[in-house]
Formats: sequence, structure tokens, C-alpha cells
Amino acid sequence: MGIRECALRSQAFLRLKEVYDNREAEALKWKAAGKKVIGEMGCDVPDELLIAAGMLPVRVYASPEKKLVETDKYLEYAFDPVVRSQFEKIVDGTYGRLFDHLAISNSTDVVIRIFLYLREIHRVEPDKNVPPVEFIDWLFTRNRLHQVRNEHTIQIFKEAVESWRGKPLTDEEIAEAMKICNDDRAALREMEKLRSGEEIRISGCEALVIIGSAFFMDRKEHADLVKKVTEDAASWDVLTGPRLFVTGSDQEDLSVYEKIEDTGAVIVGEDHNWGDRFFERDCNISYSPIRAVVDCYMLREFSSKKAFVSQRVEALNRWVHRTNAEAVVFYTNIYEEAASWDYLSQKKSLEEQGIQTVNFAKMAYPVDKNETFDETIQAFVEKINSKEEVQA
Amino acid sequence: MAEEKKAPASKSGVVKKLKATSIASAYQKEWFAGLKKRVEAGEDFGYLNADVPMEILRAMDIPFVVNQWWAAICGAKRMTRKYFGLLRDAGYRDDLCSYCATAFAESLDPDDHKVDEEGKPLGPWGGLPDPTLAITRLTCDCQSKIFELFAKNHGAAFYAMENTVPRKVPLTWFDKVQDDWEDFYDKDRLDTAVEELKELIRFLEMKTGKMFDINQLERVMNLINEQESYYRKIRDLIASCHPVPVTVVDTINAVMQAQWQRGTEWAVEHAKGLYEEIKALADKKEAAVPNEKYRLMWIGRGIWHDFGFYQRFEEKYGAVFMWTMYLAMGADAYIRNHVEEDPLRALAARYIGMEDFLHMPPWNSQWYLQQARQNDIDGVVYMVPENCMQAVEGSYFIKKTLEDAGIPVLTFNADPVDPRKWSAETMTGLVEDFIENRVIPASEARKGK
Repeated sequence: MGIRECALRSQAFLRLKEVYDNREAEALKWKAAGKKVIGEMGCDVPDELLIAAGMLPVRVYASPEKKLVETDKYLEYAFDPVVRSQFEKIVDGTYGRLFDHLAISNSTDVVIRIFLYLREIHRVEPDKNVPPVEFIDWLFTRNRLHQVRNEHTIQIFKEAVESWRGKPLTDEEIAEAMKICNDDRAALREMEKLRSGEEIRISGCEALVIIGSAFFMDRKEHADLVKKVTEDAASWDVLTGPRLFVTGSDQEDLSVYEKIEDTGAVIVGEDHNWGDRFFERDCNISYSPIRAVVDCYMLREFSSKKAFVSQRVEALNRWVHRTNAEAVVFYTNIYEEAASWDYLSQKKSLEEQGIQTVNFAKMAYPVDKNETFDETIQAFVEKINSKEEVQA
Repeated sequence: MAEEKKAPASKSGVVKKLKATSIASAYQKEWFAGLKKRVEAGEDFGYLNADVPMEILRAMDIPFVVNQWWAAICGAKRMTRKYFGLLRDAGYRDDLCSYCATAFAESLDPDDHKVDEEGKPLGPWGGLPDPTLAITRLTCDCQSKIFELFAKNHGAAFYAMENTVPRKVPLTWFDKVQDDWEDFYDKDRLDTAVEELKELIRFLEMKTGKMFDINQLERVMNLINEQESYYRKIRDLIASCHPVPVTVVDTINAVMQAQWQRGTEWAVEHAKGLYEEIKALADKKEAAVPNEKYRLMWIGRGIWHDFGFYQRFEEKYGAVFMWTMYLAMGADAYIRNHVEEDPLRALAARYIGMEDFLHMPPWNSQWYLQQARQNDIDGVVYMVPENCMQAVEGSYFIKKTLEDAGIPVLTFNADPVDPRKWSAETMTGLVEDFIENRVIPASEARKGK
């Protein structure tokens, strides 16, 4: 199915797709205008503070076609292939040329290691064109002590942003940035209704483009475009395939979704960071700025990395019910192991509720390297279809 | 690595020469039997990851077992193959997190507490009693998930402590941190760690009905300082001996068995006895390997399922494995003096530092270099764990630091507890090749200078 003709007729969607497909273009324009571009690694770098400082946050992403010349030197092979590819672009100078700074949040254990390695590269190999690195040491277990600690951590990050900018951030500037981000998230939630509502007008691939383009462009422009796309999509063709939910590895491009939706199924939601999880929770503007940022990022729906099994079981159940999915696709790349420990408990819980599941673990990256994937996902979707026929 | 193969015959075999090792082994069994009785009598029992501040439980007299110690026991008892089969049968992956998943896998074993026809226990040491408390730290994404599953299987309460990342990167911590520990850790990290300890104490008080006593903690901390000071003396003594009186095969178990008992008078006495025994050997100029020519350092966790590996290069090359982290970390990383000023803060400065010095360059790389120099190391054999992100520690930086200083390093991937991924034949060949082609030439070049 991929991206449909009806979507490509929307000027707003075309603009988002242009940004999604040419991910450096906006950053280069931004730099040419003398403004700062900040790379983000890990999904918990608070965009609000960067936007408040007049900077463009840009998400680090993998380029699977790139050879891992530098990465193979520095990283042990327990690092997953997406992070390996991201790291290559950081140490080979690609991002050194694009980013003024790189902010890393400890959204996974792997990313913590990346921060430590980059910090050490700066120390022992200072001539390498690696952007200056700032680490955000979030604590994700939910209690008062860690919330207070997180407020301290975000204060440190705020001070770093202020030093990059050369002057302090005002509460008003942060509040304005929070409004922009909240507006964007609200727009995406409206879009989501056309994706996971009773009538499906937006496919999983189209949704990934609409959501993921936010990571590479001005957020206000993104929000405006999302609103326009949502208006346009109200008249797009209705999709009728089995409703699937995707959990597991971040999907930075369309390749996995295209293969899944080529079977005739529709991906109505996902819990990874390049999808629905991005816009799930707002900043509460009635709170103080730091408190609001902490509340937003700390209390988002549990990620597959920084949560206990029981939390992940409940979180996936909530997502699946919210999107009215009838089946769940578990998809994790090789060496991205944490979700593997959740899988069995999640599967049991879902199947007790009549939700079918299929598991793709230890997947080679990119998805094309997995010879049996097409066949297996096709068989799974056919199984769902045949069950529906029996029930009908 | 290929399927397990029988190692080539080793003339040295596994020779454990120290009385302290057998004393520790005997004590360990006696202690474990006593622990089981306490649990059977209804006492709470904690199962802890190694980086959990066990000192709190010790001070509160709550019996506990440390995950890494128990995984090593299971590995040594050759239970791993069975346990990982159980994981696979239950639907879990059997190729992940071997250290942390061993005890969880054991909890799936219906025979763990049974005996065979001859009355011999089927589980290691009769199996792990059901813990009522399972406590870990969030030092990796998988660990808390495994501990939670483990806790559920045993009906234990699950508790997780957070982990923070240091902003300070001191290059030489190992000679000053014992006294100046406040200076080596970010103040806010220490503040948070102290609060974490208070929360842990509250949790334990609520669960067990026992009340924490700060004077008991001070006593425990002082006992630990005393014990670890003996390890420092032992490490310094071995480093200064040419040839060494003992090898890692002698010291690893003797030290680690007592390390898990740290904070007890027995552990202090054992460490003292170990020192005196090794000192006596050194005074007699006794050589562990009479033809010692090359001194090897082992970086990584111990190969618990093939301990004889460490001795396979002694007779042929005079190459002796004489350094592991197990003795040296006690010597350098555990002592925290001035406990009386604030026992909780001193403990915080120990437990948050474990992850720093073990898994973060340059904390670890600079320490390995200093240790290699102190111990006159000729070559380093470095086992990079293959399925454990927590143990990923900047192998590139460690290797570079050592090799830039002229010390050859062999790196390889293996698993400390899973023999399915270990080929003794291949590994022996790798190390022999390393000794012949890198260690010997580098050593001769140094001597030529």
C-alpha cells in the first residue's frame, strides 16, 4: 500500500514528505540563516527548551546504506544496528558538519554508552569532527525523589542551552515553545483519529511521514501542515484491512511498514518513538517551565526500554485498546534486547483478550535482509482475515 | 563461538593451592545451609544484584544472596545448559543476559529443590530458597525486567534502585578515592544516592519489620574497609613478587567468596588469613609458576565454567594469569574511609562508583593501565561479553590505552556462564597465538631496551 495517490494529492502532505525524505534540508537552511541546529539522540531531549532558544532540534537517524567504517572500530557488537548506523554519522563528520551541539538523553542503556564513548573520543581524539555532547540523565522510575532529581537534571540542561545561546531563557520563551509543541501534539492527535478511528483514512506509512517530519523542521510549520493534512485526509479513501498495532524497535523509515501494509493490513498505531509515543502527552503550561517539561517527558506512556515488564504489559494493552487494534506485531532488531523480556507476558495478556500476535525478534537491519519476513507477515495477515471470515 | 568442546589436556589442571580458598568454600556451604534454615523458619530473604548496596541488608541482618555469585555457582555446577533450555521451553530467548537470567531460569526448574534417587540435590546446593525480596539497580535496560520476572516467580517483592551517570571524569581516582571520595563524585549524584538509600531502608523496614540502625551500618562499613585493606596489601604484595606466589586461580574464588560476605567479622578474618598465607609464600620465595616469564592480565568476568583455562599457558610458555579485577577492585574501589562522618554518604560513594569504575572510560581504562604497570604486565587477555550491554565498557578505549602504553591486548567475545558459547580448544589456540606473536616479542623488545 505504501503512500497512496490520494495522500500525494495533498500539498500539505507533499511538503511533509519532502522534509521526511530530505532530512537535512531544513537544517541546512537554518544554519545558512545563522541559526543553531541541535542534534538529538534518544527520544527524551526536551524540544521545548531548544525551540525556546530559537534552535532547530533535529533527530539523529540511521542511514543503513552507509558502511560502518568508524563504528566497527569503536562499538562492541552488542550495540544494535540502528544505533551503530547513527553512531557512524556522528563520528564520521556527517553530523559534526550539521550540528552545533548534540544532546543525548538516556532513553536506553545503549545511548548512555554512546554518550560515554563520544565524551571519551572528545578527550582522546580531539581532532575528530564530533559535535560537542550534552547528556540528559533522566530517571524514569516514577516516584517523588526521581521527579525532583529530574527537575535538577533539566535545570542543568536548560543552563547548557543558555550557554549555547549566550543568554538566559525566560519563562515566557519556554511557555511559548511549550504552546508550539503542545499545538503540534494536539494536531497529531487529531490526525491520529483518522488513523485509528472507526473509519481509517490514514495508513501507517502515511502516519509515519506525518509524525516523523516533525523531527526535521520548524515545529510551528509542522503543526500547521499536520492540521491541513488532517483536513485533506478526511476525504481520503477508507482503508479496510486488518487493524495492526506495531510494538518494539523504533521505525525511522517506512521499510517495515510498507512490507506490512503491502499485505493489505493497516497499521493503526505504534508505541515506538517515531510514531504515536511522540505526541502522547503535553506540557502543562500552568506548571513552572522546568516542572512542566519533567512532567511531560517523565510521565509519557512507558517506553519499551525504561519500564518494567508489568508496566509494559499494561501500556501495550492501553495502546491496543485506544487504537482498537485486532492484532499486534512485535518487531525488534537484533541486539535490541530489552523488549524481548516483555514479549511473553505481553503476548499472554493480549491473547487472553483475543488479540492475535506475531513476533519478529533478532531482526537483521534493514528489514530487506530478512528473507522470510514478507512470507511470515503475509501468512499472519491471512490468518487474521480467515478468522474474520469465520466470525462473519 | 562453536559448540562446547573438550579442552586439550592441561598439565597444570586447576590447582588451587591456598587453604583460604577451601576455607571460603567450606564456609560458603555452611553459610548457605544456615541461610536456608533461616528462610525455612520464615525470615525474609533478599536476592540482590551485585551493585545493590548490600551493606544495608547486612546492617539490618536480613539474609541475602548476590545474583552474580549465584550465577557463578550455577555455572560452576554446569547447570547453565539446563536452565537456558528451560527458558527456551517457556518461550523466552535463551541467548540473552546470561549472568542476570540464570537465576530467573532456575526459577522455572520444577526440580530445583528435589533430590535424585541417591538423595543428592538436583538444584545447585539444593536450589535457591524462595526470596521474599528481589532488589536490583537500573544499570541496564534488561536487568529490572528480569528481576521483576524472577520476583514474580518466587512471590517476592520487587524493588529497583535508580542509577545516575557521572559528569566528573577523573583520570586517577584509584589512589585517592578511598579518603577523598566526596571529591570524585558529583555532589548532586551523591545527594540523590543517599536519598535512594533512605528509601531502600524504608522499604526494607516496612517489608521485614526490622529497624535500621546507623551504628550497625558504621560497623559494617568499617569491617568492609578492614577487609578490603587486606586485599590492597595482597594485591600490592603479588604485584611486587617476581615470580608471583599465587595466580588468579588461587585468588579469584578466595576473594570473591569472601567479598560476598563483606561486612562480617568472618570476612575480615578470612581476608587477613589470605594475606598471611600469601605473605608466607612470598617470604619463602615460592613461585606459583616456577618458570614464570610472562605476566598476563585478565580483563572481564571470570570463565566460571572453565577455570582451568587460566592455567593452560603456564608450563608451555611460563605465562601466568596473575591479575583480575576481582582482587584489585576490592583493593582500589571499595574502601571508603571517614565512615563515621556520614555512613550513608560513604556507602553512596561506594555503590554509585561501581558502575563508573567498571564500565565507563576513562575511569576503567586508566585504572587498567595503572594496574598493568604496577603488576609488570606483559600482555592482556580481554573478554568482551557478547550478550550483555551492562558490561559493555568501551573496549576500544581500554585496548587503545593499554596498547598506546606498549602493552599488547587480545580481545575476544565469550560468555562467562554459558559453556555453549565457549570452545576451549579455539580459545587456547587464540591465547597461544597471542603469546607467541605479540606478548613474547613485546616483552623481548622491552628487555632489549
